Amino acid sequence: MDSPSLVIPHFVEETDAAGLQSRFEGQDEFAVGGGVATFDCDGDGLPEVYVTGGVNKAKFYRNKSSRGGPIKLEEQRSGLEVTNATGAYPIDIDGDGNVDLVVLRVGEIEVFRGLGQCKFERANAKWNIPATNLWHTAFSATWEKGQSMPTLAFGTYYDRTRSDFPWGTCTPGMLLRPDSTNMRYATPEPLAPGYCALSMLFSDWSRSGQASLRVANDREYYKGGQEQLWSVAPGEPAKQYTLDDGWKRLQVWGMGIASHDVDGDGYPEVFITSMADNKFQKLEGNPSRPTYIDQAYKRGITAHRPYVGGDIHPSTAWHAQFADVNNDGRFDLFVVKGNVSSMPDFAMLDPNNLLLQEPDGRFTEVGQQAGIASFKRGRGGMLVDLNGDGLLDMLVVNRQDKAQLWRNLGAGAGDKTVPIGHWIQLRLLQIGGNRDAIGAWVEVDLGDRVLREELTIGGGHASGKLGWMHFGLGALKNAKVRVQWPHGDWSEWHIVEADSFYIVNQENGLQQWRAP
Amino acid sequence: MKTRVTAFILAWLFPIFGNAWADVSPDANVVVRPTTAFSSGVVYDWFYLSFQLIQQTPGFSPPVAARALGYMGLTLYESVVPGMPGYQSLAGQLNDLSSLPWAQPNEPLHWPTVANASMATMTRMMFSNASAENKARIDLLERSLPLKYPQDFDPNTVTADITNRSETFGKLMAMAIMTWARTDGGHEAWGPIRRSQENYVPPSGPGKWSATPPAFAVPLLPYWGRNRPFVLSSGSDCPAPPPPSYSEEVNSDFYKNGIEVYRISNAATQEQRQFALYWADDAGKTPTPAGHWAYLTNDLLRSQKANLGTAAITFARLNMAMSDSFIAAWNTKYSLNVIRPVTYVQLVIDSNWVPTLIPTPPFPDYPSGHSVQSSAASEVLGSSFGANTPFVDNTHNDRGWGPRTFKNFKVAADEAAISRLYAGIHYRFASDGGKPQGQCVAQKVMALQFKAK
Repeated sequence: MDSPSLVIPHFVEETDAAGLQSRFEGQDEFAVGGGVATFDCDGDGLPEVYVTGGVNKAKFYRNKSSRGGPIKLEEQRSGLEVTNATGAYPIDIDGDGNVDLVVLRVGEIEVFRGLGQCKFERANAKWNIPATNLWHTAFSATWEKGQSMPTLAFGTYYDRTRSDFPWGTCTPGMLLRPDSTNMRYATPEPLAPGYCALSMLFSDWSRSGQASLRVANDREYYKGGQEQLWSVAPGEPAKQYTLDDGWKRLQVWGMGIASHDVDGDGYPEVFITSMADNKFQKLEGNPSRPTYIDQAYKRGITAHRPYVGGDIHPSTAWHAQFADVNNDGRFDLFVVKGNVSSMPDFAMLDPNNLLLQEPDGRFTEVGQQAGIASFKRGRGGMLVDLNGDGLLDMLVVNRQDKAQLWRNLGAGAGDKTVPIGHWIQLRLLQIGGNRDAIGAWVEVDLGDRVLREELTIGGGHASGKLGWMHFGLGALKNAKVRVQWPHGDWSEWHIVEADSFYIVNQENGLQQWRAP
Repeated sequence: MKTRVTAFILAWLFPIFGNAWADVSPDANVVVRPTTAFSSGVVYDWFYLSFQLIQQTPGFSPPVAARALGYMGLTLYESVVPGMPGYQSLAGQLNDLSSLPWAQPNEPLHWPTVANASMATMTRMMFSNASAENKARIDLLERSLPLKYPQDFDPNTVTADITNRSETFGKLMAMAIMTWARTDGGHEAWGPIRRSQENYVPPSGPGKWSATPPAFAVPLLPYWGRNRPFVLSSGSDCPAPPPPSYSEEVNSDFYKNGIEVYRISNAATQEQRQFALYWADDAGKTPTPAGHWAYLTNDLLRSQKANLGTAAITFARLNMAMSDSFIAAWNTKYSLNVIRPVTYVQLVIDSNWVPTLIPTPPFPDYPSGHSVQSSAASEVLGSSFGANTPFVDNTHNDRGWGPRTFKNFKVAADEAAISRLYAGIHYRFASDGGKPQGQCVAQKVMALQFKAK
């Protein structure tokens, strides 16, 4: 039963009307992946959309939406049109202010350099990206202290040359670090053992100022496979946290990662998607040791069975993301679901989840009431404000089916948007290679509590975004904001007006941004 | 309310963990009961269904059926062993199995739910080519067991959180073991592997096996002996003693064995004929030989009111031993390629003779697979229940041949072994030679360290 205080946003599917026409298809090698990336490459403040297609061509859509109106996407040639793409993550690798794009593929990784105005060129050779014919399934990036280029981590699935025998053949991941020129990447460092990673995320879990690499793994339980956390210290090889370090072994079918300080204790919690019940991990006790306990049940986010449709089998969860879809000042949870193919032990009718956080910290499923309960085989996804109205819209990529798009109407109906709470959206800007300040922590003081978000690249399931950070403010007309810069200090508190866009510039402070 | 713990359970609990498992879970406020506090009802029903599935699912020849039972027995044990203080996972002791999913120590599990989920999942995967009707039976059984055994699934003592977590752990365990199982060389032997081996050409020469009448079928699973066993280091780890040298001389051992088959099968007594049929355990009509032994074990566990832990250990040992027995037997069969009696007798003694009770199975003679597997099973069961434990065999009640009471396991194994001579399809030396091979397999399985040191 819904809580009386719960404000449920209404979504309307606008896939066809928006012009989104993409299908993620392919046989076994495309059972995983199916990502979507959103980023603003033309400076209008609205995110463009890049949808992977598996064996089909990946498509780039320029965002032509009118602010506050229906979503309009226009497919354009961008240089990003590749086949065999399974995932994509936007990132400004060379710090030139033009967003670049890492495309995960079955086969060679492709890294594209942004040229401005949504044109891209392949930059594998320029940046010395190794030519590996692997099945790439996970990505994350961090700027290690003192580096102007990011460190890139890639996860892989099983050995493509053993497609007849896909068991016990997970291939290692790799870490790409800048060489001494800080303009190219050095020889890859293996992340071994690999257990068929399906998601990776660099996150500063202990607030030490140094991000570690969390890896969600899908396979090889009989060879010691487990979820992993790698310490990545500058100048040192990556090193797995062990039992001695406080890391508790965990085996799930790891498929996606969402990380957020959900409970406001200053440290990120980690949601790991899997088959059947999903995990919501919270640091247990001493924050200097990576010892986590599961609180998924306590918070009502096991999300282990379909909530509508009558299928009693366990769910299969992929992309996950915390974000505030009803602008009430609490982070909600979005989970994309879908059977691997037709596994009989798991639900075939497996709707995506939208779980709203309530004041007591528990979550309530509203997917059906919100209108997003799709029964397609979901994989990647994204909550992102596509039409600049402060309400997060929803993208989902489906295996062997069309991708879908829903517009968030807030309290509205039909195609009319009615706001349901105030919001702000922020972008960070700093000098140096890490222009977007990846690794920064943003705090938004709502008076009775502080919202806290780490700016990261990676995680989810094969899906990434670069752009506005969105915070719901509930009924507040203004709030205070501050930023802890990567490897640096906190900014001063800034007062921000609700329903506005701001750029927080490390040098110049807070600047309101207005749409051109 | 805390569960009343029997003296037997206490004997298991105290050595290492004291009575900690009867304590209250810190996060769920429920009494955590060990595996041994539950009945083996769930186990009984799942194996009972597996016997039907073996019988009714295409391709479940005796080696394939034994393999399926082996993985089911191991899955059952591994899924409930975290609830058995003093016992340990077999990961690290079985070939290429270095680890398996572990239960989080601070997250209580409900062992009947874990067992139900793991057995359901493993059964579905092992019998993925089962008929739609039988697949529905699997689903139905999974749903119905919590209702059938309310004393084990008391909703007042199990929270939704624990049920959910337990189901997930069971499925995870089954899928982890299945992932490993797929790498043993015998995966999907009911179809794809069998077809891929149909171009096997057996070696020819005097005394070598060739296809046998009446069907002259292609050899069954000629590479099964190369599969990765559970416990044996390889299929040749437990060799059978050498058979007599091939000879057509009337004074040779081989000839004497050949003519014995001819004479005994032609003049078999009614009792001998019954033995031959009773232990034939043909694929498609019965649960196969391994299923036969698992069947009588299932009944014995029930009659002794065994708990879930005891049933899990028993089936893990028995079924892995039987599966490895078939690998060992097949390894020897296709290494020596000994001619079948029907071929030998027709060549040397009576060109018109065929065994009348049972058609000769389509693979080499030596040793008798029945003998190897029955011998291994009786050794393991003797070790588990006591060598002189009498038991009732109900496997063939539906055919009007039971129940039969046996004095002990060895009597049954010896009868199964010699029945193949009565049937006219094996030499005596094949029945005798299979016994030490089966005993060797059993000894290696019984050397597994189930108890933690």
